[in-house]
Amino acid sequence: MRESLLDKDLQRSTESPVYRMLPAAYVVKIGGRSILDAGRDVVYPVVEALADCLKTKKLIIGTGGGVRSRHVFSIGIDLGLPVGVLAQLAMADSLGNAHILGTLLSPYGVVAIPPEIFGHLLPLFIQSVPGVIFNGVPPYSLWEHPPAIGRIPPHRTDAGSFLLAECFGCRSLVLVKDVDGLYDRDPRTNADAQFIKEISSAELKERRLETLPFDRVLIDLLEHTRLLRSFQIVNGLHPERIKAALEGEHVGTIVHA
Amino acid sequence: MQDELLTELGKSLLSGSLDDERLMERTGAPLPVQILPEANVIKIGGQSFIDRGRAAVFPLIEEIAENLGRHKMIIGTGAGTRARHAYSVGIDLGLPTGVLSVLGTFVSMQNARMLNYLLAKYGIPFIEPAQFAQLPHYLAERGAVIFFGMPPYTFWHQNPTMGRIPPHRTDTGSYLVSEVFGTKAMIYVKDERGLYTADPKKEKGARFIPKITISELEELDLKDVVVERSVLEMMKHAVHRRSIQVINGLERGLLTRALEGEHVGTIITAD
Repeated sequence: MRESLLDKDLQRSTESPVYRMLPAAYVVKIGGRSILDAGRDVVYPVVEALADCLKTKKLIIGTGGGVRSRHVFSIGIDLGLPVGVLAQLAMADSLGNAHILGTLLSPYGVVAIPPEIFGHLLPLFIQSVPGVIFNGVPPYSLWEHPPAIGRIPPHRTDAGSFLLAECFGCRSLVLVKDVDGLYDRDPRTNADAQFIKEISSAELKERRLETLPFDRVLIDLLEHTRLLRSFQIVNGLHPERIKAALEGEHVGTIVHA
Repeated sequence: MQDELLTELGKSLLSGSLDDERLMERTGAPLPVQILPEANVIKIGGQSFIDRGRAAVFPLIEEIAENLGRHKMIIGTGAGTRARHAYSVGIDLGLPTGVLSVLGTFVSMQNARMLNYLLAKYGIPFIEPAQFAQLPHYLAERGAVIFFGMPPYTFWHQNPTMGRIPPHRTDTGSYLVSEVFGTKAMIYVKDERGLYTADPKKEKGARFIPKITISELEELDLKDVVVERSVLEMMKHAVHRRSIQVINGLERGLLTRALEGEHVGTIITAD
């Protein structure tokens, strides 16, 4: 008992197989700016696709904060607020988006759950209803880690969805965006950008791509993962790909450990 | 959103990628304000201090009380022996790091509550993360607050590189409070003078290190260090909290001197 937890040998001795709490549930993160901010033409088909999946699958749906989070970041940075405060502020935007999506999915019994009770009651919800929505933000808030570069909180909604899927041992994580997946450069500004169908976190680290369609911290998180060994980015503008990805098809970019 | 209301950075953030490193570089300025520049964060060790009971805790409580009105103190608590027990039970049962983090939080909360009752007669409150908005008020009115040192990551706690113990525990949670509020100092109250080349409880020849930088510390590659390694990782990227001091709380008067800015233990600096 008096052993220091800071001792490397002691830490190594604590490795053992991890129990999966929700092995049948899927985590799906719906992009903020890429999907929810894009309006009815984009959102309604995604809602229909999710509703279809909910008939046979238990979904844990995270939402991004989108344009409003970026706006509050820019004001907050201008006012000299630290990263922890920016992280705290951004929770509100994705919670707003969780409620927007929750309203549209309420005919299917799926609503946004308040963050305070979400984690502890999640297994109960998953047994009782087809799915739940949470604001994808991990509860780092004032305790957000100082980023290596700049002031934007590194653990945003992709990271929150990833960490949740890892902790609860969920079946898979699908990130729904408005691009087909990962490219070697931003496909919006480079017509000849090359699509990357599958890549490992080690390779991603080595290639140091300038932009990524997911939170960069996921590369680090994948390195220490125990249960969630990969995630897939799919294009929500082709909503049928969401179900295909949940069924294990390779329809976007798969990033693996 | 109306473009004319947006700053240049605002326009870039709305349209650009938050994973574009060039754009991220532009988000570093201006430097963040120091929200509570007069306050000090004090972390009181769980295993190293509170678990020693009355003999260790009562004199420290007295010393904290003596400093009320002179120094503003945001006091975080460690977890200690019971957290180790809960971790060992949890690991045996295969529980994930996020669940162990929840269990550790409960223990550091018990320790915060105990200190809270011992300081209650001075009107010092214990606040949970949801009450941090009231922290500045309590600090202005009463001069100190108590919080549990665990960062509130719960199920979202990231895995350690090896093993299953949550890597960001009460040293880290306290450190981040100090960094985000831009406080004057971050003082770790433990049961050793500071950092040694080895665990002084086990090795007689361990040498005391009064001052060291993170890069020097990394070069030494010690098997055991006096603070959580993630504190050192985060300090590398910190804006305000570029140094910490570890002191021996068992020696009466050292906390007061550390609050006054004296070097009485080990100071670890980012550069």
